[in-house]
Amino acid sequence: MNTETKIDNEEMLSLAMDIGKSMIKCGAEINRVEETVIRICYAYGMKQTDIFSVISMMFATTVDENGKTYTQTRRVMSYSNNLARLEKLNSLSRKICASPCDIEEARKELDEINYEKTPFHVTALLGNMIAAGAFAIFFGGTILDSAASFLIAVVVYLMNTMIKARGMNKLFYTALSSAVAGTLAFVFVKIGFGNNPDLIMIGDIMLIIPGLMLINSVREMLCGDVMSGLLRLLEAIIIAASIACGFAVPILFFGRLGW
Amino acid sequence: MDIKQAIIIVLSGFVGSIGFSLLFRMNKQKIIFAAIGGGLTCLVYVVAFNFSEKSFFQNLFPALFATAYSEILARLTKSPSTPYIAISIIPLVPGSKLYYTMYYLITDNDLAFKEYFLETLRIAGGLGVGIILVSVIIREINYHKFKHIYDME
Repeated sequence: MNTETKIDNEEMLSLAMDIGKSMIKCGAEINRVEETVIRICYAYGMKQTDIFSVISMMFATTVDENGKTYTQTRRVMSYSNNLARLEKLNSLSRKICASPCDIEEARKELDEINYEKTPFHVTALLGNMIAAGAFAIFFGGTILDSAASFLIAVVVYLMNTMIKARGMNKLFYTALSSAVAGTLAFVFVKIGFGNNPDLIMIGDIMLIIPGLMLINSVREMLCGDVMSGLLRLLEAIIIAASIACGFAVPILFFGRLGW
Repeated sequence: MDIKQAIIIVLSGFVGSIGFSLLFRMNKQKIIFAAIGGGLTCLVYVVAFNFSEKSFFQNLFPALFATAYSEILARLTKSPSTPYIAISIIPLVPGSKLYYTMYYLITDNDLAFKEYFLETLRIAGGLGVGIILVSVIIREINYHKFKHIYDME
């Protein structure tokens, strides 16, 4: 490798960690992230790499051929599901592993992936609506229930994205949008648009409930990442509790009214 | 489960997968494959549902299928399998069960809470074990390719 003299190992580790961090932010499993960082370090000629990562924190130490060690940590604050970005990060790391290129070049590509503009999320909104409508039927609702769920998904989506941008406590805004969605479901049934408020609600619940997070936590625990899996599991349960609190308010209130 | 119900589950699972693949910002050309995976997984679920009454096994077999389908598709389209697995499995994810668990917890319904809690664990366990089983087999097949990396540890 003739580029060896030019590679700054500290920067190389920094790049590998940033790729790993971006992957966690897109919703990758921990063992995939750890493997990616190890593979990148290995591709740049490191002798040994030790990494420990949970969903909110990463530590790595790598040793070069002279026995010098480099250590870095990363804190991950928020994560969501972004499959297209995850795919791009994956192909970037594959490309780096296949032919270790200049660090700056790779860094530029990483920045391009991370700061890629996401236009107003019409497709995400549409996805929300379709999924909500489909799951209302999946759980046994009528066409009318599905249509009501379809419309309420717009409100859920707008509330979630707008409040999220203001940096409000995640549990609070989840509960708030759940309460609004639940209220709307009862109002829709009252005016005759929909038959079963609980089935209208379940369509919208599927959008915000961290079901995939629950499955991923089980997967991680079975893979041996018990620590990360436990954190993910607890977070999923807490978010589910806040959703239940949000929906409980209209259910108990309108139940008392006899709607 | 009668045939009409089965068709509804498969179709709505398919449409729901399309919705979630848009929501998770999946690559546009791959949405249709992932959504078909979601529909087929529901089909396997319906078959498994009629074979066994145990919810662990009802979910284990669809998860095995979804992971195998995703891994094959990932090889064919030269992309990672994670997005395909996520979308194929999403109709079976126990989101509603998890919600009811927490709902009964905060509304003092202990009996229903226990029932839904255990059900959630069984389904999540079944899906998790199904995914892991296939992943382990794939890793064994690929072992010689990445041997140097596994040996570093």
